[in-house]
Amino acid sequence: MLPIDAAAHSSRWRRRHPVDKAVLGLGLTVLAISLPPWPGAALVLLTALVVLLGPAGVPGRRLWRAYRVPLGFCVTGAVTLLVQVGGPGGFVSLADDGPLRAGELLLRTSAASLGVLLFAFTTPMSDLLPRLVRAGVPAPVVDVALVTYRMSFLLLDSVRRIREAQAARLGHTGRGAQWRSLAGLGATAFVRAFDRATRLQAGLAGRGYDGTLRVLVPEARVSARFTAASCALLAALAVLTLVLERPLT
Amino acid sequence: MHIAEGFLPPAHAVAWGVASAPFVVHGVRSLTREVREHPESTLLLGASGAFTFVLSALKLPSVTGSCSHPTGTGLGAILFRPPIMAVLGTITLLFQALLLAHGGLTTLGANVFSMAIVGPWAGYAVYTLLRRSNAPLMVAVFSGAFVADLSTYCVTSVQLALAFPDPGSGFLGALGKFGSIFAVTQVPLAVSEGLLTVLVMRLLVQSSKGELTRLGVLLAKKQSRTETETEAVAR
Repeated sequence: MLPIDAAAHSSRWRRRHPVDKAVLGLGLTVLAISLPPWPGAALVLLTALVVLLGPAGVPGRRLWRAYRVPLGFCVTGAVTLLVQVGGPGGFVSLADDGPLRAGELLLRTSAASLGVLLFAFTTPMSDLLPRLVRAGVPAPVVDVALVTYRMSFLLLDSVRRIREAQAARLGHTGRGAQWRSLAGLGATAFVRAFDRATRLQAGLAGRGYDGTLRVLVPEARVSARFTAASCALLAALAVLTLVLERPLT
Repeated sequence: MHIAEGFLPPAHAVAWGVASAPFVVHGVRSLTREVREHPESTLLLGASGAFTFVLSALKLPSVTGSCSHPTGTGLGAILFRPPIMAVLGTITLLFQALLLAHGGLTTLGANVFSMAIVGPWAGYAVYTLLRRSNAPLMVAVFSGAFVADLSTYCVTSVQLALAFPDPGSGFLGALGKFGSIFAVTQVPLAVSEGLLTVLVMRLLVQSSKGELTRLGVLLAKKQSRTETETEAVAR
């Protein structure tokens, strides 16, 4: 299981309905990209961090491990805004408002990423996917996504084992060997995926498979109190940003 | 290559989502029809989605000495066709955003457009064109994977340039800026992905002829040769 999903399964908010967490987490993300980065995104970032480490109970180290991935992309992307092409300063020169734009972008992306991480760290995929049918996603697409999700872990595990076996047989020693091993890995993953699908199909056919995958979804109700509190928090953040924007700019 | 969460302004995020929607809806219709006609396809398509997800997790040694991962769009389009890839790519990108914090939900539309629509269609067009002009399978596979990978990055450059025009030279300057950054790293990576896809396909031709024929990758030429051989033996 992947670290974020594993953390979601043992989350304090695991039993909450995904809609509750979507309103809060994705609401923070939407606010991060729609409000002015300063002070809006900064407030969202702070709020998301407090909620993640406080009420949601996400361990700091796990959060950092997941957060540093998008943070790396944000920094790399923001660096490009520091320079400009053409203009009086020469072909390539430092942009006048580059640091400001880069800073704003960094604030916006890092805050938006935390909002999504709040949702991801508290909502296991197995709770979310079956409920997408009610949201209007066609059932066959949800079924394919469910099989994809469940098979991904098995395949990732197979890939890890194959890689270890290749390494034990000196398959990663030279560049040529590395390429051969990688190609073997890709091809074996394909063969295994199809083989597994065929065997799964045979097994399900024996149990009267009619094209619908029925899975048990843990009972959960949308909490009006939690959703209302989330909406109030989001509204407060928006108002606070508008109030503070002028004095802080 | 994935545009990170919150990187695009809201209007751009919505616009790319709207641009992607018709292709994804078309893919969803194809997939739904396929599953209704052949319920067993659900498992095969799920396996294909898992394969695409795992493919994007493989570490790819780059010609420049760095390390990256393949987009898998070229191989996916050749194996499963672009409409199906639009759906499988969207599912994979959603999983990457939520399980790996790679990409994002607000940038899902933009990422889907570059990686699940333009990449597969461009790669598949080149692959089909070469196959129709009787080019060897592996040449077509390499070209398809190379073009799919490179076009993905070109579209990403355009998306970023539109969102962040250069203060001095506008959209074109920004396109040059993002394009040149990608060119240094991604042209070698596109070559690497093309080579990897050829190696994978060579192994698949040897080990999974049945699956490749079922997916329509191995052409009738291959089958007719087998038939000719069978006829010759029969005679």
